[in-house]
Amino acid sequence: MAQETILNVRDLRVSFRAYGGTVQAVRGISFDLRRGETVAIVGESGSGKSVTSKAIMGILPSNASVDAGTIMYDGVDLAHAPENVMHDIRGKRIGLVFQDPLSSLNPIMKVGKQITEVLTRKGMDRKQARAKALQLMKDVGIPEAERRINQYPFQFSGGMRQRIVIAIALAGDPEIMICDEPTTALDVTVQAKILELINALKAERSLSVIFITHDLGVVAQMADRICVMYAGKIVEMGTAEEIFLQPAHPYTWALLSSMPDLDTRDRLAAIPGAPPNMIHPPKGDAFAPRNPYALNIDFEEEPPVFRLSETHYAATWLLHPKAAKVDMPESLARRIQRMKEAGGRA
Amino acid sequence: MIIEDRNHLPQELEDIPAEKLQLAGKDNYRDEAFATAPIGFYRDAFRRLRKNKVSMASLIAILVIILLAIVVPEISGYTYVQQNVDQKYLPPKIPGLEKLGIADGTRVMTNRKKSSISDPTRFPEGSVLEIVREYQAGKRIAVDVKVDYYKYCGVPEGVYHWFGTDYLGRDILTRLFRGTRISLLIALLSVVTNLIIGVIYGSVAGYYGGRIDMFLTHFAEVLDGLPYIVVTILFMMLFGAGIVSIVLALTVTGWIGTARLTRAQFYRFKGREYVLSARTMGVPDRRLIFRHILPNTVGPLITRAMIAVPGAIFSESFLAYIGLGIMPPEPSIGILLSSGQSVLLQYPYLTLFPAVLISVLMVAFNMLSNGLRDAMDPNHRGEE
Amino acid sequence: MLKYILGRIGAMLLTIFLVMTLSFWIIRLMPMTIFENPEVSPEVQYKLEERMHLHEPKIVQYYYFLEGIILKGDFGTSVKLRPGMDVFDIIMVRIQPTMVLNFFSLLVSIPLGILAGTVAALRRNTWLDHVISFAIVIFISVPSFVFASLLQYCLTFLWPVFPTLYNAQAPNVWQAFRSMILPITALSLGPIATIARYLRGELIETLSSEYMLLARTKGLTQNEATWSHAFRNSMVPIANTIIPMITGIMGGSLVIEKLFSVPGEGGLLVDSIMAGDHFLTVALLIFYSLISLITILVVDISYGIIDPRIRIGGGK
Repeated sequence: MAQETILNVRDLRVSFRAYGGTVQAVRGISFDLRRGETVAIVGESGSGKSVTSKAIMGILPSNASVDAGTIMYDGVDLAHAPENVMHDIRGKRIGLVFQDPLSSLNPIMKVGKQITEVLTRKGMDRKQARAKALQLMKDVGIPEAERRINQYPFQFSGGMRQRIVIAIALAGDPEIMICDEPTTALDVTVQAKILELINALKAERSLSVIFITHDLGVVAQMADRICVMYAGKIVEMGTAEEIFLQPAHPYTWALLSSMPDLDTRDRLAAIPGAPPNMIHPPKGDAFAPRNPYALNIDFEEEPPVFRLSETHYAATWLLHPKAAKVDMPESLARRIQRMKEAGGRA
Repeated sequence: MIIEDRNHLPQELEDIPAEKLQLAGKDNYRDEAFATAPIGFYRDAFRRLRKNKVSMASLIAILVIILLAIVVPEISGYTYVQQNVDQKYLPPKIPGLEKLGIADGTRVMTNRKKSSISDPTRFPEGSVLEIVREYQAGKRIAVDVKVDYYKYCGVPEGVYHWFGTDYLGRDILTRLFRGTRISLLIALLSVVTNLIIGVIYGSVAGYYGGRIDMFLTHFAEVLDGLPYIVVTILFMMLFGAGIVSIVLALTVTGWIGTARLTRAQFYRFKGREYVLSARTMGVPDRRLIFRHILPNTVGPLITRAMIAVPGAIFSESFLAYIGLGIMPPEPSIGILLSSGQSVLLQYPYLTLFPAVLISVLMVAFNMLSNGLRDAMDPNHRGEE
Repeated sequence: MLKYILGRIGAMLLTIFLVMTLSFWIIRLMPMTIFENPEVSPEVQYKLEERMHLHEPKIVQYYYFLEGIILKGDFGTSVKLRPGMDVFDIIMVRIQPTMVLNFFSLLVSIPLGILAGTVAALRRNTWLDHVISFAIVIFISVPSFVFASLLQYCLTFLWPVFPTLYNAQAPNVWQAFRSMILPITALSLGPIATIARYLRGELIETLSSEYMLLARTKGLTQNEATWSHAFRNSMVPIANTIIPMITGIMGGSLVIEKLFSVPGEGGLLVDSIMAGDHFLTVALLIFYSLISLITILVVDISYGIIDPRIRIGGGK
């Protein structure tokens, strides 16, 4: 695997001004994206994963601000770059695929125009742009592209619309593609096809992908590396094997245990409680109140990040050598055992 | 902080006392209950409405006007029909304010023969206050004089018409608030009638669906295609002048919006799981409609009704202007406005007071219904 | 698309037919005599009534009524206001001022409303937005005839900038138009505010839509995205307000014409109602229905042209 880092996020902090106070949506996250790999960011809604993707694209809403940190891409800090620099990066260098293809396409503009719009604006002539749009539509697997290029979004099914959105994201030939929950709004059967498509496109175009989802099951087929986010922080980061087979953080345990699995006879474990109020994030480890394995110190002090391997990091006091010895839940251990025996991921 | 090697901890981590690294136990771990008591939808909406200063000011303005409409005609000392031909077009005179030179019962009379102002049969003792201008008009010398119009008309000292009198010497203050009463009554009656018809019609269409719905919806659509003004005028002509006629004329097409809204709400809610489950448990139609579906439509209906009130007040005035109002001598805001309008340049106060009142009333109702709509919008639930 | 237009036209014809039917039966049900003139001898009156088929059964009269209008454009003769004159001719004489008044109001209202609404939405929560929003509430709430009185008193009496009444014998076009400025203004304030309020809300919603965000992530500037996605999309549902607005303007013009003595159909309608000249009233009501339905038809069709979801059908 190529190891060159093309996007580097360091200690990013993003907050929103809301009615009741300042919401600290992202509280100091760091990760990098290497050329040709897929990094998944996994977390519950409200964990700050979508905000991270918007910060990278420079499309945070007007009541949000980057308080600290950098997002380095090609020598530019995207977190603080002026609008005119961002125009040349958005679409052209970094593309974004949204969650909901129903609402992310303009209902009264032909899909072809939506794909080519940015190309013609940046000086490509119409014929060329149209040819390119047709090619893109074929690439993302839309049959009869010649006919459908003149249709409107409402004439497409949900899965087809998501393909259009992907085509739009790819129109500027970006090298990074951010997929923000690209399959959440789709039927399960369609989901799998879109995931396959993203993987295929990634290989063809040697894209680097940031894949944002709440669904660990989806991640298994996609990601090289995984960042698990909770309450605006990355609590565990590692390769897919490490996260699935040697999870170290209790939150990751909880996520894995709540994942449906064909062979499991154990009850699915729901994660108790609700994510914390990010206007007043709790002291110490934000997950502690929902964590059956919380230590006393979790309620007082934030855990440091422990390095477990070259690629595997986790932020939990459980990894302190003197901490109470806690093993992952037994049902999860059994599950992992089965996965190992099956020999694959997931 | 990143700990590269778990076996070589920095000093401050080594120093952490062992008991802190023990499991916190079940006491700290809980499935958190909601900290606040549940707040009902309407209480929540009302709470948000109360925070909205503009809406509250509008509500107060409306309540004050309603109160005045009830009280003033009873205590003004005049009745709305009481005529006095010697006291036509008296200007406003308000105790207190008169000393400031506003509403002091004076008027400038133009182009009078100069000799006439010293004639006590024409200008009674003390009625001439000031000669504003003196000029040659043809052969005679003319003057513009400022007169105390009350004395000029021989009105006894101590008589006040706060808002003046009209062409029959009727007290405008009394007539204005009597008229407000009528206008509000018309608005209220027509809104309530429309609400009742619309809710029943919409519920039947929405609940039963299918053929019944198709027929009812088409019928309403055709009716709705008729130009509103044309229909209202036609039915006013048929019913003749009067309060009931206006209410009926405003009802002919007025209920359609409510019906449409109710029907849409029914379609939204009748497929919901909770309604289906109630139905499978054998809850009868009527109970399903009234207990399980209709309550969801109350919020939008209240907002709609509130918006309809200024609409009805407007329609009443409109009809009065085109000569299809209520039966004289009963006043309404529209009647007062349109009769004042015909002498606007001579006696502007006759238009001024009803114009201000109808404007305040319309603005207040619109603001209040905006506030209500925002407060009842489920998207804003729980916000401050 | 053709199917859509034919459907709209069909609906319009049905409505016109309904207006005619309703007018006929309501007038015939009214407890007044249709035709009465003390100067005409009973025999002559009987003959006149016979010529107007007044002695035949109602249903036959209804047939003659429809036949007259549809086949001959014959709306009957005036019986009170201008006895003996053909109703259609009376209407045609006065058509011009009414059309000018209504047409100019519409012409002024739409661009000004769009401008105000766009400015308010793009400068959301600034003082400019607050001023516009406040003006919107006032102009929507206060009836046009109140504004008319205010304008008339202030601008023709206190500071005589404009003539008080419509000047039919104006020596030139400018003079005639000048006397129309106040009525047009009074009539347009409400519609301007209506459009501005609607567009402001719509634009604010589309500005925060997902497809706006997508437009920006593909590399359009905020201005480019606002223009080609938000603004265009917000314009589509404006038709929803223009239709009731047209009805509003026409209703308002009835009163405004009377206030400014504009010799148009509005004043005529008021006069005919007051005089009980029913043939004239009915013809005028049909005239008003026709005008408003044609305008609505035009709006509907242009709506269909702008919005592909209607043009192509299906979808939502």
